[in-house]
Amino acid sequence: MTRVIRIAVASLLLLLPCLLVAIWVAGASSRLNAAETPGAASGAPEVAVATNADEEYCTPALKQILRRVLNSCGLISSGGSRGCQPIEARNVATMSGEHFNALFIPMMDRGGIVQFDLNSSELDEQDRSLIESVFAARRGASYFLVVSRASPEGAVEHNRRLSRDRAEAVLGYLEQTFRDPELEQQVGLLWLGEEYAQLDPSFCRWRRSGAETACRPEDLNRSAFIAWIDCRL
Amino acid sequence: MKPHPFTMLVALGAVVGFIFATVSTYDFVIHLDRQLHGIHCSYFPGLGETDTAGTSGCHATLMSPYSSVLRGRFWGGLPVSLPGMSIFAFILFLAVDLMITRRQADLRAIGLLLATATVPVVTSVVMGYLSLVELGVACKSCIGIYAASVLAFAFSLALFIRTLRRRRGATKNRGGEEAKGAEAPPESDEVPRSKPAKAARRSGRHGPLRWGGVVALCAIGGAFVCVPLGLYAAIAPRFDQYVGSCGELSRSADTNRVLVPLGSSSSPVSMIEVIDPLCSACRALETRLTVSGLSTQVSRRALLFPLDAECNWMVDRSIHPGACAVSEGMLCAGDAADDVLAWAFEEQEHIIDASRADPTAAQRMVTERFPELRRCVGSAEVRARLNRALRWAVSNQLPVSAPQLYVEGRKLCDEDTDLGLEYMLPRLIRSARPAARAELPGPRVASSDENVEGVRP
Repeated sequence: MTRVIRIAVASLLLLLPCLLVAIWVAGASSRLNAAETPGAASGAPEVAVATNADEEYCTPALKQILRRVLNSCGLISSGGSRGCQPIEARNVATMSGEHFNALFIPMMDRGGIVQFDLNSSELDEQDRSLIESVFAARRGASYFLVVSRASPEGAVEHNRRLSRDRAEAVLGYLEQTFRDPELEQQVGLLWLGEEYAQLDPSFCRWRRSGAETACRPEDLNRSAFIAWIDCRL
Repeated sequence: MKPHPFTMLVALGAVVGFIFATVSTYDFVIHLDRQLHGIHCSYFPGLGETDTAGTSGCHATLMSPYSSVLRGRFWGGLPVSLPGMSIFAFILFLAVDLMITRRQADLRAIGLLLATATVPVVTSVVMGYLSLVELGVACKSCIGIYAASVLAFAFSLALFIRTLRRRRGATKNRGGEEAKGAEAPPESDEVPRSKPAKAARRSGRHGPLRWGGVVALCAIGGAFVCVPLGLYAAIAPRFDQYVGSCGELSRSADTNRVLVPLGSSSSPVSMIEVIDPLCSACRALETRLTVSGLSTQVSRRALLFPLDAECNWMVDRSIHPGACAVSEGMLCAGDAADDVLAWAFEEQEHIIDASRADPTAAQRMVTERFPELRRCVGSAEVRARLNRALRWAVSNQLPVSAPQLYVEGRKLCDEDTDLGLEYMLPRLIRSARPAARAELPGPRVASSDENVEGVRP
């Protein structure tokens, strides 16, 4: 009798782990197969995929204008000349200078105004520091816009050239400092001379490289406006 | 004869150990479905909240390389808690058998019980050392097993000593009484020596355990361990079809030098690790890679992907505050990035806590520990480089998570980065090797910086 009891106890205790393991493994296999079934909902939470930033201010209207501007200014499409002249910018934006400037208002925290001396496209220490600071804080932005201007003193054609030189001075400094091979695809240049979308004193609140007091319209427009655009186009 | 209290306590230890080992085995086996599960971590097995966040010592222990053996042959390996279940079941059987056969004073039978009870207690010492010293965590379920092992061992030993003393006493008495011409006392409590064994068994009593019986019981013990393990190995699901099934990098070229070299291996097979230096899962993965020796089989490079909103726009809150500054430190360190990473892994909690209180703390800590990086960390250049690393993740449409592993551009499934690592990663490396060799230009080591057409998962 004791032999039977001993065998029964041994069998029970031997079978118990086997039975439990068999049940658990079968359960795991069946869940594994169920997860394999097409259309089966996975228990794991959905993981976001890495993307560029697309901030709230990137309304469809803004994106449309940006796409036009960036396309026309040689940023999105390959080939063609780099940069956008005042007449082109005005034409592609198809809006008043005031409305054009208003597009950039939401980017106040992301941008800055590099202020130049009269009739100069030379970057001083403060200018370089502002450019570095704004450019390094790229985060998820896709495009960096340099919109340069000139104050009304002097001839229109000269101011057009001067504003172009200012835009290119900023680009040159970026190339020299950051040595980013993709810079060409990131930085868009618009030079507006004195003809289009002049900055008004409301832009005095922006980060600027000029002195606190240098905020008259002519001071603000001897400048290159720089900002990252947090929009996916 | 009534069961001796020591025998009862041995049986109790075996039952408790069996329950804890069962819960641990269940927690292990449930992961064979490659999904995320909570882990039981309580001194009251099966009760209390399960750990779904992976923060408990039980989770760290279960996912560590020490929780199973033969991981290269079976996905996840054979859980050590399964033979634990078996051995406790066998100890319980031996204790019950002592009571049934009334051999509670049979030195050989108790010696076998003691020898068997030594196995879990020795294992507990080893596992406890690994858990506390190597992993630096305390696992409640494991502590339950250790305690049960000690209980079973201590009372087996007590039973053995008691029997030994009684036997010595009896031998002394016998010597004295033999001198007086008295009959010798029985060797066993129950069965007088003079009684024939058959008659004793008929009356429910057994004679002293013979060596043949010991061998038979050892064989039964072997069956207790081998049968469940064999069954597990036979019916566990097969996972080979998942090797390299989780997609590829679509643009693996590192034109912007955003990948940081790790380790010193010059293997032709390259592996990219997407890591956040302050993520505990990344630290655990690093431990598994090192302990398993897999880290030396590949040329490793890291893509820094700090889950810190300070620099990473893809997270809406900082999961690991301070990770951006530490990542900058790694980028600045270049070939010495390993040192910064090792320090960051060591100080993870400290850095995160300090950065929660003061957002500049991580940068200060990095530059205090590595003064040579002072001019670089926080500079515009390195911030731009870290940004390019994040944009590399964007261009490859990587999941916003860490860690991730890519061997020659092919992703190791996230489900295989813990228990299944030693099974899946070598297979992924082997499958990548022919391609890596084909890229070798003469004797030089191949680079994986080639654009690879992506296969979306």
